[in-house]
Amino acid sequence: MRAIWAIAGGMIKELIRKKDFYVLLIFMLVILGVLSAQTFFQIEGISRYVRDFGYSMVMLFSFIISITFAAKQIPVEIESRTIYPLLAKPLSRYKIILGKFCGSMAVSVVSFTVFYAIFISFYTAGGEIESLSLLGQGFIFGILFLCMTSAFAIFLSVFMTMAANVTLSFLFYMIIGGFSSSIKEIIFSSKGVVSVLYGILYYLLPHFEFFDLRVRITHAWDPLPAWVVVSVSVYTFVYCFMLLSAADRIFRRKKF
Amino acid sequence: MQKILSAKNLQYTYESGKSRTEALKGVDLSVEDGEIFGFIGPNGAGKTTAIKLLLGILTPEKGELTLFGQSPREPKTRQKVGYMPEIANYYKYLTPVELLKIYGNIFGINKDLLRERVGKLLELVGLENEANRLMRTFSKGMMQKVSFAQALINDPDLLILDEPMGGLDPFSRMKMREVIQDLKLKGKTIFFSSHELSEVELVSDRIGILCKGHLLATGTVNDLLGDKKAGQSLENYFLNIIGEKI
Ligand SMILES: Nc1ncnc2c1ncn2[C@@H]1O[C@H](COP(=O)(O)OP(=O)(O)O)[C@@H](O)[C@H]1O
Ligand SMILES: [Mg+2]
Repeated sequence: MRAIWAIAGGMIKELIRKKDFYVLLIFMLVILGVLSAQTFFQIEGISRYVRDFGYSMVMLFSFIISITFAAKQIPVEIESRTIYPLLAKPLSRYKIILGKFCGSMAVSVVSFTVFYAIFISFYTAGGEIESLSLLGQGFIFGILFLCMTSAFAIFLSVFMTMAANVTLSFLFYMIIGGFSSSIKEIIFSSKGVVSVLYGILYYLLPHFEFFDLRVRITHAWDPLPAWVVVSVSVYTFVYCFMLLSAADRIFRRKKF
Repeated sequence: MQKILSAKNLQYTYESGKSRTEALKGVDLSVEDGEIFGFIGPNGAGKTTAIKLLLGILTPEKGELTLFGQSPREPKTRQKVGYMPEIANYYKYLTPVELLKIYGNIFGINKDLLRERVGKLLELVGLENEANRLMRTFSKGMMQKVSFAQALINDPDLLILDEPMGGLDPFSRMKMREVIQDLKLKGKTIFFSSHELSEVELVSDRIGILCKGHLLATGTVNDLLGDKKAGQSLENYFLNIIGEKI
């Protein structure tokens, strides 16, 4: 356990000492600042844009941090040869994978919390705090989302370069996130064996869109029922467990 | 004496696409408790490959291999092993202190002991003034020193050094030889590789000569040179024996 945290702790230091996080943070503050300044001048409907845009930015930026950190860990360790002293330590390979996963989680949760706190302070600036429990769900879903993205990128990173990994993760994020309903339609309109195959494939893909509360938060709808939150959590844990076990299996066979 | 390290008929082949490189073609090795074993051979002989097998980083495709009587693939076998890799490269956004602490935590070393040991080791390698500087700014030689320090963080019984003198200046080499001999006095076993015979000759109790994946000879410096000793350096012996094989 201590070994896993030792590996993860190194990644937090990396986050603090590299500029990726600060660039995104400043970018977000500027955009939200500009949008809110316009709300101040009472342009109709603008606060909804602040919510819509702000939430999307929080998710996108946290996604970027989580994917880039998770995707680079193992390839960079191999390329720079820091992996050798690590492999020689009394560590099982799965602990290296878990350490990298916990590190990616820690790094993305820290970033997400900062981004989300800024978002909430803009969101509630107008005095609307009626949907606190919805915002709470947004936070939980954000963390579950980062669990998925970190595990997904760690899994790809045991056999893919960082560039390929980030590209593929982005494609999944955009295609599955953006066109989920059309994909579903195609699958369910197909027939016979093909439809079964499509169905299996569809459920095997990582469903990043499950975690997207953008519309709900933008319109300040009612919070989700508890069973939805529980199901999505269970889905996340099962999916991440499968991804990480697969990553471990590949990593253990890897030749260095 | 007890065998710390024993390898029989060790074989390893790298395969990448269609090309195959037989890096080790059946190597027998044994290192006894408390000795300094010098593992010499020209570039590409297979030294680093053998070391990766010893550390469980790679799995031998044939042969038997044990450290302390156990398989090096088992993590706990490596609890008392220190390793300095051939190319010293560590996380550039960390300081030496942070690096040593991370490794110390992986070994499960108690906090107070770890703090004390980190200080002592950085002093030993002469990095006490750079202890809290990011390694981004370190030269090759400084990285090498960090590398040596991290190999000692768990107070290992067996120290495996892959070309440890590589990037060091003559003074640092001398210093490292002294440290290696000190460690021997403390009862540690040291296995180190080099392509420079003069280095090995000075500190080793026994040496093994590796060439193209074959172990050509093992023994003490005296054994290997025999009565030809007068006027013949290990360097010449080495060139002769390799010459015969080629
Ligand atoms: N990762 C690898 N893939 C393919 N061939 C390799 C790899 N590493 C080493 N080799 C080859 O194996 C042989 C032995 O290499 P190595 O063990 O590094 O030798 P040494 O450390 O004695 O210089 C060399 O021919 C080298 O080119
Ligand atoms: Mg080598």
